[in-house]
Amino acid sequence: MEVDVEKLKRDWTGFTFDTAEFEVSASDLVSFASACGETAKRYTDPADPDFRAVPNYTSRYVGRRILPDSFPRLGSGYGFDAGKCVTPIAPIRPGDKVVAKSQIHDIYTKTGRSGTMLFIVHRMEFSNQRGEPVSVVDWRMVQQERGAR
Amino acid sequence: MILDLHNHSIVSDDGRAKVENYCQWIRKREIPLDGFVLTEHRQFDDVSDYRALEDEYGILILKASEVETDYGHVLVFGVNDDMRAAYDFTRIDLPLALVLRETERCGGVAVPCHPGRPRVGLFDHFDAKGVVAGVGVIETLNGGSRGEEDARALALAQAHGYRGIGGSDAHIVSQIARCVTRFPREIRDGEGLVESLRAGDFEAVSWK
Amino acid sequence: MSLGYDDVDFGAELPPTAPDVTLATVRRFTAAAGMTFGRFNAHDEARKEGLPGAIVPGIMSQGILVALIHRWAPRAVVRKIDTVFRAPISVDSHPVARGVVTDKNDETRTIEIDLTIQNEAKETRVVGTATVELP
Repeated sequence: MEVDVEKLKRDWTGFTFDTAEFEVSASDLVSFASACGETAKRYTDPADPDFRAVPNYTSRYVGRRILPDSFPRLGSGYGFDAGKCVTPIAPIRPGDKVVAKSQIHDIYTKTGRSGTMLFIVHRMEFSNQRGEPVSVVDWRMVQQERGAR
Repeated sequence: MILDLHNHSIVSDDGRAKVENYCQWIRKREIPLDGFVLTEHRQFDDVSDYRALEDEYGILILKASEVETDYGHVLVFGVNDDMRAAYDFTRIDLPLALVLRETERCGGVAVPCHPGRPRVGLFDHFDAKGVVAGVGVIETLNGGSRGEEDARALALAQAHGYRGIGGSDAHIVSQIARCVTRFPREIRDGEGLVESLRAGDFEAVSWK
Repeated sequence: MSLGYDDVDFGAELPPTAPDVTLATVRRFTAAAGMTFGRFNAHDEARKEGLPGAIVPGIMSQGILVALIHRWAPRAVVRKIDTVFRAPISVDSHPVARGVVTDKNDETRTIEIDLTIQNEAKETRVVGTATVELP
């Protein structure tokens, strides 16, 4: 199947297709941080007065849907995580309820060691229970797609 | 004269390096590099003007492109309007034969890069689909190569009598000048680079 | 004394780290991150997917690079971190994480850091950049 990337972009980028809520626990914050070798106490010690999530903590969250319900199935379905860009905006602390809104931010193709690849940039914007923005994560998902143009 | 012939700046979608930072890095590390070429992916950057940086840092900054063909990625030097009219730099499936022929016709040089890499390198495609005539120079040393990829590139060059260049394929500042090309003659601009590449008077050098 | 903006020069290298990517640690990470996939948690499951063995999750690699920054400058505030997962890091391998300062912005008192994780063969498997504010 040949994929018209420009049409995909026109049809599917720039609108929220999923909203999900997550509760933040101190134990998960500590486990996440310490498994990565984090040593700063404000990320590893709940007793620290400034205890908070590590800057890239929101990269762990996935919404209820990765793509919009009727987004076309592309390629073999085999995909992988090509990269993540995290922009922390405000601290996330235990007990926070963060709301994540997902959209497709960009779609493009290129060729690489894995063949012809279709990149879908999935953006999640996170806010806390007070409605304050706390983080943005751009997740570059790769789908191998031989017919992309 | 030593040039790094393959680098990307923030103009490329996956480039994270600012050109000024490349210059600062070269100066700070006292790297004996006389210049570098920006080979942005699937485009030619005719907007950016690096003359002030060249003057400030005393380093030659040239512009070229990296295009994508049915035989892998290809560096294109000496880009001009005729060449850009001859084939669509944004496509990811350009016929290699077309890129070689039209680049030559328009006065440039096309150099398949990282030829030892799976899928995006010439080596695999030659094996699978046969040799394409018109290749004279390939990138035998690439800063991003893994495992035996450079060895495969060198074997390809030896088998077919291709000349080899070196380029870092840097996408972040600290990866510039890992692989370079040494020219016996001075090169002052893009035309001079094309002349030297056509003359075959150069050697690939690894600084990894 | 914690490192501040004025203490850092362009080109400064962060002390490299040898992150713990043993199966036990990766499992601890995936439990916290809610990642139940076999490719991260079990070598035999990963092999069934065609991988040579279990692999470190990309976001754990990113966390390793964040930790590298905080070990060097505990009061650093990461304003942005962008990582490209070029190739997998094997679980139970011995990678090395590195960082080097490649830009300074006096107005925002932020620096840019190039980040890499290399495997034992010195292949760069993860590459990235971070924008970091220093006091």
